[in-house]
Formats: sequence, structure tokens, C-alpha cells
Amino acid sequence: MNVASTTDDTEYADRSATRQSPRRPDRRRRLGPVAAVISVFGELLITAGLVMGLFVVYSLWWTNVLADRAADKEADKVRDGWAHQDDGSRRPPEFDSGAGIGFLHVPAMSKSEILVEKGTTAKILNDGVAGYYTDPVKATLPTSDKKGNFSLAAHRDGHGAKFHNIHKIAKGDPIVFETKDKWYVYKVYSVLPETSKYNVQVLGDVPKESGKTKAGRYITLTTCTPVYTSRYRYVVWGELERVEKVDEQRTPPEELR
Amino acid sequence: MYGWIWRHLPGNAWLKALISLVLVMAVVYVLFNYVFPWAEPLLPFNDVTVDNQ
Repeated sequence: MNVASTTDDTEYADRSATRQSPRRPDRRRRLGPVAAVISVFGELLITAGLVMGLFVVYSLWWTNVLADRAADKEADKVRDGWAHQDDGSRRPPEFDSGAGIGFLHVPAMSKSEILVEKGTTAKILNDGVAGYYTDPVKATLPTSDKKGNFSLAAHRDGHGAKFHNIHKIAKGDPIVFETKDKWYVYKVYSVLPETSKYNVQVLGDVPKESGKTKAGRYITLTTCTPVYTSRYRYVVWGELERVEKVDEQRTPPEELR
Repeated sequence: MYGWIWRHLPGNAWLKALISLVLVMAVVYVLFNYVFPWAEPLLPFNDVTVDNQ
């Protein structure tokens, strides 16, 4: 049928336009039903691939952005709280000094400080902090001056990835915990590169796997390993070497200089 | 599927491209803010603690 040859017959042309409209800009390729189904399936597969790619971007980049933002805010609150604790007059009583109890400095692992908060639930760790264990084993805080184990966990990847470079910590490296008025200087004495995620013994007051048999003042860092998975746990143990008083200028101990 | 969406967007090619971009950004926004945060704890990539469970 040749529509163009009959355009002088306007009535026919109008009817033809409504019925078939041969000059439609997007002329659809006629697909058979099987081809159409396969085509949609293929597009769904491509979409799934893109979504998974986006998920990787989300976990390895975006969660870090969010976590670092949250951690910076909390850290500022803690520092502010410390600075204003002594001149009580200017501080309103409901001043929120945040949930942080101090900062962890591990020069071998990361140049920046890591805020420490109570608890190791996902909600807490996702804010880009290290959490001290309250469950299944309760951590002994260094500020309590008691013998025990100050056990901490943080993310290896995503959500701030605060313990990302835990594998760079070697025996003898310092771990410093900073509170309002004390520097607690620990020295790494043992590393366990891989253990079961059910191995809660590593958090014990006297972590036997680290080689210790007597009670002391220990610190334990735990995170997941290998990198980008959480199949096993990586553990680093340190022992308290000395405690320094924080001076007026907050001069860091020599390990951090 | 995407062809069908393209054909059903209004306007010329430029407008369609613009609307497509907005739609893609809306989808990414929803994924990053609602879908991924929901899916993440269900996937075994980011448990860092040792525990009894």
C-alpha cells in the first residue's frame, strides 16, 4: 500500500494518519514475543549489574563519607566538652559532650585519631568510631586503673574503615589512648592475623593466645579479615607501658611526635 | 524496558535525556538512602566483632 500516492485525497489521508501514521518518529521494531521477553530479561541483568556496582561504591566510598562526617562531629563535641569542663560557668548544664570517651592513636595504622565510644553494635561502629566491647566480654577501661583488657572493634572497610591498615601494625609499635587528662601508652606485643569470629577468648582479661598468663593491663584491637570480607577476625594485643599526664598544651607523648 | 520508558517520556530527545537523567539520579538517591542501608546488614561483608552467635 502506498500512502504517499493518495495524499491528494485528504479524507483518505486523514484516516490513514490516525490508523497507521507512517511518519512516526520512533518507529518500533516489531519483536516476536520470545525476543521481547529475552530483551527485557537482558535489560534486567544489566540493571542488576549496575546496582551491584553501585553497592560497591556505596560500601567502600559513601559509607566512609557519612561515617567520617559523623565521627568528626562527635570528636568535636568531645574535645569541646573537655575544653569547657573546667570553666563550668560558661557551659549550660545540658551541654552534650557526646558519647566518646577518648581517642585512639595508632601511628603505624593511621595518621588520624580514632574516637572511642561504648559498645560494638553496628549502629555505633557505623559512625566511624572504634567501640569498646560490652558484650560478650566486658572491656576494662584504662581509666578504671584496674587490671584487665581494653578490647576494641572497628570497621576494616566502609563506615570510616578505621582499622583498615591493621595489618601494618607490628610488634613493638605504640598504641596510645588519649583521655581528657591522661595519655595511656601501650606497646604491641602480639598479633593474631586470623582467628574464628567465634573466638571470644581473645577478649579475655588475660588473653592466653597472646602468650600472657598473668593479669595485666592490656589492649586488644579486633576487626575483620581478609580485607573486604568478614570471614575471620584479625587481633592485635598491646600492653600498657606507662601513663602520662596531659599538660596544658596537650603535648602528645614522644611516640606520636 | 528502557526503550518503552524512552518512548513514553514527553518532549523531544533533549527533554527526554534530561528527564532520564533526573530519573536515574532519583533511583541512585533511593538506593543510597534506603535500599543499601537496609541490605547491608543482611550481607556478610562488614561484621567486625567476635561474638558467640
